[in-house]
Amino acid sequence: MAASRGRRVLWHGRCWFSQTESAVPSPSSDSLYPPIVASATAKSKAAKRRRLEYFNQRVHGAASIEEKLRLYGKLQRPKYMLYPQTFALNADRWYRSFTKTVFVPGLPPRAASAAAKGPGAVAPEAARPPEGAAGAAPEAARAPAPGAEAAAAAKTPKPAAGAAPYLDVGELRSLACDALLQESFYQHKKQPYLYRYHDHTPGPFLTQLVSSLTTFLCGLNPLLAASSLDLKPEVNYYWHYGEEVVVHGHRKGRVDPVRFQIDDKPHLQIRVPKQLPEIVPLESDLGDVPVIEHKPSKLPLFKKQYENKVFIGSKVADPCCYGHTQFHLIPDNLKRERLVRARLEDQIEVVYRANGIASLFAWTAAQAMYQGFWSEADVTHPFVSQAVVTDGKYFAFFCYQLNTLALTVETIQNNPRKNICWGTDSKPLYDVVEDGNVKGFNDEVLLQLVRFLLNRPKEL
Amino acid sequence: VCEGVRQAQWLTKTKRVEGLPPSVLDIVDSPAHRLGDYEEGVRRAVSHARFWDTTEVAPRREHYCPVLFEDLIHLCRLMAAKYPSLAKRMLARNYRIAATWERESILLQVRGLNGILMNSMAPIPPVASKEEILATEEHVLETFYPISPTIDLQEVNVYKELNDTGESSRFKDGYPYSHPHTLFFLESANIRPNRFRPEQLRAKMLMFAFGNALAKAKALYGNDPKVLEEPIVVQSIGTDGQLFQFMVFQLNTTDLVSSDGIKNLVWIDSDQNLYEKAQCTPEVKKRVVTKPVGIYGFQPDTFKKFLALYLHGTV
Repeated sequence: MAASRGRRVLWHGRCWFSQTESAVPSPSSDSLYPPIVASATAKSKAAKRRRLEYFNQRVHGAASIEEKLRLYGKLQRPKYMLYPQTFALNADRWYRSFTKTVFVPGLPPRAASAAAKGPGAVAPEAARPPEGAAGAAPEAARAPAPGAEAAAAAKTPKPAAGAAPYLDVGELRSLACDALLQESFYQHKKQPYLYRYHDHTPGPFLTQLVSSLTTFLCGLNPLLAASSLDLKPEVNYYWHYGEEVVVHGHRKGRVDPVRFQIDDKPHLQIRVPKQLPEIVPLESDLGDVPVIEHKPSKLPLFKKQYENKVFIGSKVADPCCYGHTQFHLIPDNLKRERLVRARLEDQIEVVYRANGIASLFAWTAAQAMYQGFWSEADVTHPFVSQAVVTDGKYFAFFCYQLNTLALTVETIQNNPRKNICWGTDSKPLYDVVEDGNVKGFNDEVLLQLVRFLLNRPKEL
Repeated sequence: VCEGVRQAQWLTKTKRVEGLPPSVLDIVDSPAHRLGDYEEGVRRAVSHARFWDTTEVAPRREHYCPVLFEDLIHLCRLMAAKYPSLAKRMLARNYRIAATWERESILLQVRGLNGILMNSMAPIPPVASKEEILATEEHVLETFYPISPTIDLQEVNVYKELNDTGESSRFKDGYPYSHPHTLFFLESANIRPNRFRPEQLRAKMLMFAFGNALAKAKALYGNDPKVLEEPIVVQSIGTDGQLFQFMVFQLNTTDLVSSDGIKNLVWIDSDQNLYEKAQCTPEVKKRVVTKPVGIYGFQPDTFKKFLALYLHGTV
């Protein structure tokens, strides 16, 4: 039944109180009497079910996405605030259980063409028999275009297949080193503020690196040419998971869903108009979701009541409504040295993982809500996004596939789907910067970053 | 600076030319670059900055001015697909400039945090021909007697004459992107009195462009005042999120003590609107929507000039 039928609805305080009839439009052909349904206002389970059903119908029948989001987050109650960057121990296990995510270590194996692009195009300067001599002719026509590559072309081998792009490792490395040296060595800056070292060097370095790499790679990836780069955007998501009994207050004793809200501020984000392709099919099962017996407040997580926001970084009207890559900067209070001093070395990776899982879940779920899906209307195709979490020197890469939004108590029962997150451990990009030289530069990390940026749907 | 650009011109011994120089206008008009393709992208950038970037209904100027700038620079950077040498540019944010010079026995110094600088590996070639430079010799700098040229300037006791060759170099030696290309000024304060008026913004742009060019000249040619064989060109763009000021400055001489001789040149294109109005909520009069949400008075030419200044020197 169309909930928005023009009948007025009265809200009494915090009850969901409707004065409409059940408004089943069955005409009076069968019986002269209106259908017998449970009351809408009584303090009974049937009445509660009926109110829930009415709410679901209203959201289903909302006229536009903004209206749907407004109705979805209309009722404000105390909710747990999830922080992607947290000092809580083993936070990534808790976050996986709240978001029904399976964590798979390592990155997903790409499609065959991408895998051929990867090792073939970006092999190191060590002599390698050139694979695919057939690719040499078209490649030779492309190679002289970037002028500086003429010297490097001799040592960089040819790509594996004729269709693979030509990536010059030397050029990429010099871009990254230039960005790093500018921020840490060449530019004169004031002393960093106390506990704000991440804004002094790693933050600007990350911005520079991503901008230069995007500039360099936009010829190879047409999706980047239509992308939108946000600096320090906001990403928010609100959802229900599980049930609890209200402990104190005038609503004591009632059974309520557990509400969560993520308010994230990634350092940098790339949004694109077309979606990234799915990595594995929608119904795949790659592992188990941890089950936590304790209340969420034991993590520690704290409750607050404020506006329920769902936001991907820009409003619904923006054409770039799908996410590509996020870049997160680990703040100074979670840096490695501090954790090592507190003898929590195993929590170093947990910080990166928790950040990746929570931020990507919030982003992909918000993207799905922008397309009209929600917990009662589950996604029909997976939503994929990527993230890079770094503290300026160590980089960790994450890939997330959202398969389901149905995490509420009613919808999770028959839902076999799980969300999947692939992630790596953090690896250093360089060893040390001394006197205008970068020592121990790690090409692997840079190439992984480049592969992330080159990711695009198959049609492009 | 109370007299605005005229005062800045006297202080920097500069002659002013209205409009942009011919080399930049060539890039704007040339059909080879197809600058018109980017109109859709620019509209999206303006809508993103003014409407979509925040959960509130209408973002403040402090929020939308930098976002608009970042989006426009992102669009310009994507041109590197066509011109690979554009990748040889580096943006330096929050950096400080220091330059000193003497002007008719008054010691002047430009110092401060001036926003965002874009550096490039290759310098911009001189914009004015040799004849034009020689013609500036006859030009007389306008003075505004009885107002002293140093009105509104802060008089400070300077104990160290700082130049970019000294310890306060903005960049250390050996920096590969050593040529200042363009300076960007974002007037993003929310309250109008905290923002520079267009005239003062232009004067500030001129002073800082001059400061950067002078510092580069001293780094390249030493501290002696002389006429430069290879003039140094520095551009600058100032905006408050809607109005754009474009400026191209060419330093011809570092001999600034006297008011005669060869002068420096500046081309100014002022008060270019990118759009007239950005309506965030529909204007409703007597229950009828008179003005729906959207951008009104969009002028793509302003972005073409922005892009032309960005591409200047590499195409």
